[in-house]
Amino acid sequence: MLYRLADAIPTIWLVLTLVFIAMRILPGDPAIAALGDGALPEQLAEFREKMGLNVPIWQQYFNFLIGTLTLDFGKSYMNGAPVLDLIARNLPYTIQLTVAAMILGTVIGIPFGVLAAVKRGKLPDSGMRIFSLVGYAVPDFYLGALFLIGFALNLRWFPINGAGSGFFDILHHLFLPALTLALVKAAFIGRLTRTSVLEVLGKDYVRTARAKGARENRVIYRHALRNALLPLATGMGLSLLATLSGSVAVELVFNRPGIGRLLIQSITERDYGVIQGGVVVFALMVVFVNLMMDLLYVVIDPRIRVK
Amino acid sequence: MNVNRREFLELAAAATALSVVGTGAARAASSADVVRIGIAANGPRTSDPNQTTQGSDNWATEQIYEQLVRPEDGDFATTPDKYVPTLATEWSASPDAKTWTFKLRQGVQFHKGYGEMTSDDVVFSFKRAITDGTNKTIMANVADVVAKGPYEVAVQLKSPDVNFLGTTGFSNNTSIVSKKAFDKIGAEKFMTDAVGTGPYELTRFDAEWGTAMKRHEGYWGQKAKIAGVECVYIADTTARTLALLSGDVDLIEAVRAPGWVDSMLQRDPTLQFDMTIPGSFNTLHINLTRKPFDNLKVRQAIMYAIDRQAVADALKPMGGFMAGLQPDFFPAGFKTADLPPELQYKYDPKKAKALLAEAGFPNGFDFDSNCSQREDYSSTMLIVQEQLRAVGLRMNLKIGDHTAYHADNRSDKNTLAMHSSSYPPIPTQLYFQQLSSKSEVKSDGKGGGNYSHYGTAMPGIDALLDKALMATDYKTYVDTCKQIELQVLRDLPLIGLSTLSFTVARNARLDMGYKVKSGYARWRFHRATKKA
Repeated sequence: MLYRLADAIPTIWLVLTLVFIAMRILPGDPAIAALGDGALPEQLAEFREKMGLNVPIWQQYFNFLIGTLTLDFGKSYMNGAPVLDLIARNLPYTIQLTVAAMILGTVIGIPFGVLAAVKRGKLPDSGMRIFSLVGYAVPDFYLGALFLIGFALNLRWFPINGAGSGFFDILHHLFLPALTLALVKAAFIGRLTRTSVLEVLGKDYVRTARAKGARENRVIYRHALRNALLPLATGMGLSLLATLSGSVAVELVFNRPGIGRLLIQSITERDYGVIQGGVVVFALMVVFVNLMMDLLYVVIDPRIRVK
Repeated sequence: MNVNRREFLELAAAATALSVVGTGAARAASSADVVRIGIAANGPRTSDPNQTTQGSDNWATEQIYEQLVRPEDGDFATTPDKYVPTLATEWSASPDAKTWTFKLRQGVQFHKGYGEMTSDDVVFSFKRAITDGTNKTIMANVADVVAKGPYEVAVQLKSPDVNFLGTTGFSNNTSIVSKKAFDKIGAEKFMTDAVGTGPYELTRFDAEWGTAMKRHEGYWGQKAKIAGVECVYIADTTARTLALLSGDVDLIEAVRAPGWVDSMLQRDPTLQFDMTIPGSFNTLHINLTRKPFDNLKVRQAIMYAIDRQAVADALKPMGGFMAGLQPDFFPAGFKTADLPPELQYKYDPKKAKALLAEAGFPNGFDFDSNCSQREDYSSTMLIVQEQLRAVGLRMNLKIGDHTAYHADNRSDKNTLAMHSSSYPPIPTQLYFQQLSSKSEVKSDGKGGGNYSHYGTAMPGIDALLDKALMATDYKTYVDTCKQIELQVLRDLPLIGLSTLSFTVARNARLDMGYKVKSGYARWRFHRATKKA
């Protein structure tokens, strides 16, 4: 585990460096973004000095790396709030959304996939294929807007924006954005489940289970699905990472706080500290998810532990 | 863990039920006792009027703070005599317009129990604006602010300012804040917990959600009719529009693009639209250092080629026409008919072509120009591009990111640079920012907003501007500004393309209590009423 963590350090450093360089290459002046295009030269100069933007690039890079090591990303150029505070306030919302979307996506996707595999070539299988195609093809921001118009604006079942407060209110606010991401996930997970289950349904141990007189549901869920989980777990890990990036658009459409929305806003405003802090968090989440997937493999398939 | 079919179905049902908790009850629209506005930005940056850099934060500061004087609600004071007593009850200027004395209203209470406003608070607020404000330009002329007893203040200026009420008196930076509160809670906390005297007091500042205010029960004037105001930040246009249509918010900041108002009315014909006239001044800088734009005939050709009325009409109902650089009801503004015929520049593509031929370009020419992707910029410049193409001026328009666009303009990288900015009825502000040689753009990015290099590439309006700024009577000031207008129309370093109203789409159940006619992009809600 520690070895894997250490292994991630060069990756994170590379990501940080690329982000640092990309932000400096990108045209646009944080001082003008913060103070407006009508700001006077003296005001802009004062701002650059205050925010440490007037020092040489190498020094800015050095300050940034030292800051990252001490988890001090500085202050937002826009509102003066510490970047770490901004991230701490927004991160729980992104985690909520990602976890809820994954749960919903799995709950929808796996049974669909199993059903499609079992009923191969029949109506459920065709349905699954169409659902997958639509899921892959429809952008999540578009799907989100459709859900908003249908369920929030016309039917008024759900709130139109925000994240809510209190357990049930939070769930109420979370459902539509989570469903938006989940349907895309479900299409992917369903397709993957179908393929994996189909593969194991032809294995000897499945035939043996049937020959022993096991009920079909037991054969499928106990013997086939369990053995189909390993490739599925890999796919779900990738899917979780895609959900994280997908949360950016969904947070904007549903006007939910979150790291994605924070990042987009910061890129528009050239708020370097917040962008860099946000990317560090995303990079750490990717590393964390990968680590968790490695651990999950061991739980799913004891043979890996033995190896 | 073994899960049988029944358990699986039970779990799935429970998860679904949990997810749709509350869906049976329709989501509550905003309460009848709260005005909720959807702001077109990601989140508030500050509630301190002295530190605001994001225009939309001023929706909150407008409710929380007051200045010594204000214009009537929903309007600009187009002349100094149109300001109404607010925290000052009367005022006077010395004959040289260098000392302005204000008598303060007695009994004005700050929010949150910070006591009565006195001259100490006024002196403190002005001095803080001079040293720490985001707009030091407007304070640069203030030499000193002196208390003359608890209810009188004298502001001494370095040079005359007949427009002091407009240039400095009514500004976010000269909002009166509580010295006692500032001393107690400190500058940093004041950014999100400021204390003013306005009809609403701040109760919540949430950088992700927005700001909330409640009625100031100790307000000196007529108390606000609606108990609370909420400024909810919804940057995404679709989300903001849906929030209005669903009744979640009562009003939203509009998208200032052609057709937006019509498309909203198609969705809900009962919607109301409040618009300030003029709103933004959309101007077009012609870079005089780039050939052949140093040739007056080429610039005149551009002026005749652009159908400014058509540009304004395309932006209807938000667009407005400017004969010069000011709308006609502003000081120094002209109606077309009042201009000399040669400066009226009525749309005439034939004349434009003839002028180009005289300048040595009978077949026109190609040139590059940058433009922001923001709707108001891109839509205007695409129209201009088409009109110029019709006379042979083939503008290769590169549309890009808004922040990058302004950075490029500030580094002198543009040829025809559109600029959109709002100005009060103080014409010298636009002249100084966009035409003065002191504001000339520099390639290192350290210059100002005079992207045309007027005043250095060719003689400009500096002497006239100085004369206007040194005027000790209002008539001389306005007359000199009119001379500037005429000279700019003769030299054409800058073209007034159109005005573009700040617009708010409002649910009909909310009545503002007054008509919004003009003013900055924010207005007060203290007279508003709302049907349930």
